[in-house]
Amino acid sequence: MSGSAMSAATTNPGGATAPPLNLPAPGARERRRLSPAFGLAAPGTLFVVLALMGPLALMFRYSLNRFVPGQMMVEALTLANYQKFFADSYYQEVLATTLWVSGLSTLLCLLAGFPVAYFLVRQASDKWKGRLLLLVILPLLMGNAVRTAAWMVILGDKGLFNAFVSTLGLSPVKLMYTPTAVVIGLVSVLLPFMIVTLQSIIEGIDANLEAAASSLGASHLTTLWRVVLPLALPGILAGTMLCFILSMNAYATPVLIGGPSFQMMAPAVYQQVAKAMNWPFGAALAFVLMAVTLVLTTTANVLVQRRYRRWSE
Amino acid sequence: MGILAINRIYAALSALVLAFVLLPLVAIVWVSFFANRILSFPATGYTFSWYVRAWEQEAFRNGFITSVETALVAVAISLVLGVPASLALVRYRFPGRDAIQTVLLSPMVVPGIVGGAALFMAFIELEVLLDVEIAGTLPGLLIAHGLIALPWTVRLVTASLVGMSPSYEEAARSLGAGVLTTFFRVTLPIIKPGIVAAALFSFVVSFIDLEKSIFLVGPGRTTLQIALVSYLEWNLDSTVAAVATVQILIIGALLIASDRYARLARAF
Amino acid sequence: MSDVVLQSIVKRYDATTAVDNVSLNIRQGELVALLGPSGCGKTTTLRMVGGFIPVTEGRILVGGRDLTSLPPNKRNMGFGFQNYALFPHMSVGENVAFGLQMRKLPKADIARKVKTALDRVKLSHLADRLPKQLSGGQQQRVALARALVIEPDVLLLDEPLSNLDAQLRNEMKLEIRNIQQQLGITTIFVTHDQDEALSVADRVVLMRAGRIEQMGAPDDLFERPASHFVAEFMGVTNLLAGTLESVGRFRLKSGEVVAVPVAGLSGDLALALRPERVILDGTDEALLANTLSAEVEFATYRGLVIDYRVRLPSGVTLIARRPSPAVGGPAPLSPGRAVRVSWQPEAGTLVPV
Repeated sequence: MSGSAMSAATTNPGGATAPPLNLPAPGARERRRLSPAFGLAAPGTLFVVLALMGPLALMFRYSLNRFVPGQMMVEALTLANYQKFFADSYYQEVLATTLWVSGLSTLLCLLAGFPVAYFLVRQASDKWKGRLLLLVILPLLMGNAVRTAAWMVILGDKGLFNAFVSTLGLSPVKLMYTPTAVVIGLVSVLLPFMIVTLQSIIEGIDANLEAAASSLGASHLTTLWRVVLPLALPGILAGTMLCFILSMNAYATPVLIGGPSFQMMAPAVYQQVAKAMNWPFGAALAFVLMAVTLVLTTTANVLVQRRYRRWSE
Repeated sequence: MGILAINRIYAALSALVLAFVLLPLVAIVWVSFFANRILSFPATGYTFSWYVRAWEQEAFRNGFITSVETALVAVAISLVLGVPASLALVRYRFPGRDAIQTVLLSPMVVPGIVGGAALFMAFIELEVLLDVEIAGTLPGLLIAHGLIALPWTVRLVTASLVGMSPSYEEAARSLGAGVLTTFFRVTLPIIKPGIVAAALFSFVVSFIDLEKSIFLVGPGRTTLQIALVSYLEWNLDSTVAAVATVQILIIGALLIASDRYARLARAF
Repeated sequence: MSDVVLQSIVKRYDATTAVDNVSLNIRQGELVALLGPSGCGKTTTLRMVGGFIPVTEGRILVGGRDLTSLPPNKRNMGFGFQNYALFPHMSVGENVAFGLQMRKLPKADIARKVKTALDRVKLSHLADRLPKQLSGGQQQRVALARALVIEPDVLLLDEPLSNLDAQLRNEMKLEIRNIQQQLGITTIFVTHDQDEALSVADRVVLMRAGRIEQMGAPDDLFERPASHFVAEFMGVTNLLAGTLESVGRFRLKSGEVVAVPVAGLSGDLALALRPERVILDGTDEALLANTLSAEVEFATYRGLVIDYRVRLPSGVTLIARRPSPAVGGPAPLSPGRAVRVSWQPEAGTLVPV
């Protein structure tokens, strides 16, 4: 597997860690000198530790504090904030909404992303593959604010979609501030991740395997199911995890397209920390969010790895 | 079903999906030229006046300037910290290398809102401790954005270092070049495309960040994304579309430029 | 089992024509080798027959049935891939069973047929292994068993031996030929190796730039090349350009006039002469008609034979091959030595340039 284009897909199917960097394996060339390496890596590592790890640890500590209205935070060592989360049906609903919206968005991304990835690898010429990939990535990087605004323009009550619908003589559809709109918005931002991940794993599957299956009598769908799918499983898992994690953490889309009555976890964290100033509970929400994501992705990872390991190593 | 038919189905599905992904982009650019006073379809005519109006909005103008400043500093931070770290990760083997790699990439993994909230709390804590203002200030924002850009820089630069055979460096060393000379005369020129791509890409991810910044902006110091979101909470008109179009053009140009230097797809 | 007919097959990609008007009738049970250098269109042709590449023009008939527009899974052909393309996530047995499962055979039948197929390639004891646990030769056998177990009408093999080392290649070559004859299955075998093609095929089709350059029995191509390209591809190292002076008299570009067999050709020609037929310091000159004096330029020792490059006074060089002393050949000649070069007129073949 050369080039790190593959890294996202192959070496570490998802989990809650970033795809690894595909560093060279230890070999004869390795240099065993410690000092320069540490010197080079230390500033960056220290920066992340101080600006991310430290604050996260602090926030975890805060999640064990007690919130007293008017006093903000009182030092304590209590699980009350976590208990509150699991006792409060409102927050359970927020979590449930987050989970099903993320699950659905991820599934749609998988269904819509696979044909594109397959097309890019198996059918598009190299020149077009590059261009189309760029075209896929561009919208991803136009920013959440801009993309969300665009979806508001399209999905609004008097938006592009309803204008189109009314030219057909149909009555307008209420889309804005519905879960449907949120899912649409999320899919559009997550699809590029899925496509790029799937693309790199399909690239690694020998096209002759599909030809072989086909010559042995398998239809295209059977070939996909029995040959491509099992071989692409790690990449599918990686892409699925990525999309799932990203949509679990989505902020702008649910806030702006979901509207005030639609609640997901990330906006709830912001709400508690910045608006309600209930830091202990906001912190607890953040850690519940991370923990749920971690548990789900790790479980999926273990399940798939178990099937995959037999022939992959 | 014949091969040609199958190919056509894939091509059609891909076109459909691509259209879906690109639809918002096209729609907002289109709307930015609408002459309609209140945003509605169809257009009653076309005009450039929303661009003028957007620039006249102080929130957008200042937000744009803050965003560019922040992004430039974020690029600088991420390069200064990220290039040496990538070099260490790729060219050396040392205990804890995997752990350091995980740490360096972790800002990508921790949800933006969670990281932002944590940083916000830490800043407030520091303010109380040190009696200085951080949370709503530019330095606070810069730290957050350095954090956003760093993992992407590490990703792209390690990718180009992995693709570069260490024999070039060994050749330079054997010809008598010192460590620093080797880096600046051999390594750096060879991985320059990766570094340029990393810089451009870091600029973009910092420029478009919303989730981390939202905790750290202060009165009078707002990034463009925050300005857009706060505007969107109350209005949706072609002013926003004009701002969005400008942003799309800038980011599009940066991405096409950086793709020329390194295949962007491998950053993901 | 069926005959295969290719009718004026054309494959065009945008500007380039990969296969240009190829027609071929393959009899039932015949093994035809598609031979040629890389890029000559042989693999493209094979993949079109297999159905993996759509045909631009022309028709493909098997047993009289037009398959041109059928997808691969409806063609009932066994395909052997250069890299074997064994499914890495399935065991050997599962790989072989795959095609039978596609045909929805009862489980018991599948098990029986898989066993027979693996027995035929002497691998039944490895049925539970994964492909990556097998050697290259074993993988090749599994690929063959997998292609044959579906009882295909036609067997298509794409460079099946190119990934094996020399000794294994010989062994597999015999085994493929053996199985093919036992089953009497119509087979197309793509290779770039003339030796492979000659030793395995009933008929060899030599392709060049998308077209058929010459086809015929192995000895036809080897002994009676129809063109400069064929002669060169078949390992004739001496190709001397010139023109016919009169019937049976050929004037080389360099001036020498030599006796050649009578041929109905004219214009710019080349005399193709195998190095084995060039005799150095021959004794029975009455038989040899063409005798020229020359000088040994250098000798290449090749184990069983020694190749001498000799230079005529006009500057033309020829290669002559003699058995080496290891197999009872004459003592080696040292460079610089004057020799007489001769050959029988009928040893040469005239080919158009």
